[in-house]
Amino acid sequence: MLFRFLSSARLVLVGGALSYRALFNWTTPPMFVGTLLVGPLLQVFFFVFLGRELQVADDRFHLVGNAVLAASASCVYGGTMAVANERRYGTLGAVLLSPRHRGPLWAGRALPYVLNGLLVSAFVLAAAAAVLGLPVPVEALPGLALVLLAGAAACSAFGLALGALGLRFRDVFLVSNVASSVLLLLTGAAVPRNTLPEWMRTTGELLPLTHAADAARRLTAGDGLDARLLGTELLVGAGYAILALALLAVFERGSRRRATLDVM
Amino acid sequence: MLAIEADALRRTYTSRTGWLRPRRTETEAVRGVTFDVSRGELFGLLGPNGAGKTTTIKMLNTLLLPTSGTARVFGHDVAREPVAVRRRIGYVFGGDRGLYERLSALDNLRYFAELYGVGARDQKRRIGELLDLVGLTGRERERVEGYSRGMRQRLHIARGLLHRPDVLFLDEPSIGVDPVAARDLRRTVAGLAAAGTTVLLTTHYMAEADELCDRIAVIAGGRIRALGTPESLKARVGDRDVLEFEVYGVDEELLARVRRIPGVRGAAVEERGTAQALTVQSDRGAEPHARVLAALDGVRVGRVVSREPSLEDAYIAIVEDATARREPAEVTA
Repeated sequence: MLFRFLSSARLVLVGGALSYRALFNWTTPPMFVGTLLVGPLLQVFFFVFLGRELQVADDRFHLVGNAVLAASASCVYGGTMAVANERRYGTLGAVLLSPRHRGPLWAGRALPYVLNGLLVSAFVLAAAAAVLGLPVPVEALPGLALVLLAGAAACSAFGLALGALGLRFRDVFLVSNVASSVLLLLTGAAVPRNTLPEWMRTTGELLPLTHAADAARRLTAGDGLDARLLGTELLVGAGYAILALALLAVFERGSRRRATLDVM
Repeated sequence: MLAIEADALRRTYTSRTGWLRPRRTETEAVRGVTFDVSRGELFGLLGPNGAGKTTTIKMLNTLLLPTSGTARVFGHDVAREPVAVRRRIGYVFGGDRGLYERLSALDNLRYFAELYGVGARDQKRRIGELLDLVGLTGRERERVEGYSRGMRQRLHIARGLLHRPDVLFLDEPSIGVDPVAARDLRRTVAGLAAAGTTVLLTTHYMAEADELCDRIAVIAGGRIRALGTPESLKARVGDRDVLEFEVYGVDEELLARVRRIPGVRGAAVEERGTAQALTVQSDRGAEPHARVLAALDGVRVGRVVSREPSLEDAYIAIVEDATARREPAEVTA
């Protein structure tokens, strides 16, 4: 029993770390810094200055919301790459021939992007707050870390669910592009949700980062940790994790029947 | 217990094209393949491109479900017990792809060791052994993207052996590999079979199959056309003479003309650099030399050699015979 647990833990941790290095396209320092750190930081500035000009919302709204949203680049695209890039390298067949349980295998794929997303959000929040002079209470930091972690985890599960589509469809990065725009629009991270139509607000409730962004804003405003928002974010993440595993299982089984994988 | 049992295996692919007026095409890739492989046997599956070799292997290794028929690996049904089958098999395929380019060979093997359930304690030793076996020791920390095709192929083999599989599927492992690397590969495969691993090998290189395989099945058009030892297959053309002409510019029309010569049982042409090798099989004693030269009127002819039939001649005879009575593979609806 203990051996099986340790073996699964190794598959998640060691396997996850190796797959991240093997499959994530942005691990080189220029790509990592440019795509995951500088790009999102500039996006924060863009929305903050636009918000000031249009007086849509205050600096805190845009800064914190976009910092939380910054995790989406690594989580959504990373989750997609974690599955879809197997096709690119022709390794999908070798992976699917593994006799290991698929739960730890795919969970290991998502884990590095959770940490990556957390790092990116924390960096963007800290850097933007320092540059724009937004005060963040020190006592809010543990809660913020928790909220950012929950947001990154939910978003990684969302990304893995999109990546699962890569087992069935070839042009899955198209879906990731659309998903990124959907997150930008509907999570309320960059656009105040009360300005959106009802159906968009409802859809936003079901997306990752929506509740994490609200919780992070409250924390930076000194209102303390809202356990309900945190719990809802985790629940949304758990839903996407279950969806991802279900889709991966269904598409893997379907691929044997329909020969839909260009596996070798 | 048999290592591999395939019984009336069939696989049909269905593809759809077009959005407004979709057209469904069904292709019968494998049409009822039956064979057994004993434990420790080195079994060859030969056939032209599109004959159904890879589809057969993919059904046996659980990547594809058979449309009908059954297959078992050490008694485990490939359709119903895929995990049990995967624990006992390794799969090595030819070509440049199938490895993580950005990782080193060592990290590729470490990752697949996790995927194939090699225990943490065993991993380091096992990876070291395999790097030694395939001659990559000293290069294991280099990224795979800088590897030659031969080195990649050796790494593929190491990966396929990580979990000490009882059955190893080798799908054209020597494709595009230089002669020295191919010789080393054959030695490695022969060594594995000698150590008790059951090997199912597909290859286009007849000399490789002749040297390595205990038994060979020739598959064409999705069916097994011949099955036996290399010697028994060669005996099928034992009543023939073989002439090999070095020629320049033989096309299908000329080839058909050669095939129509009385006494000629088959003719095939193979590109060899700037020249071509025209192989003509004829009934023993028919002596078609002069008539072939006459049929090749206008074509530059170099050396002409008479030799004993080889496995390649047997293979060509079997495949040509299958081609002559080939059923349509595609049905469009």
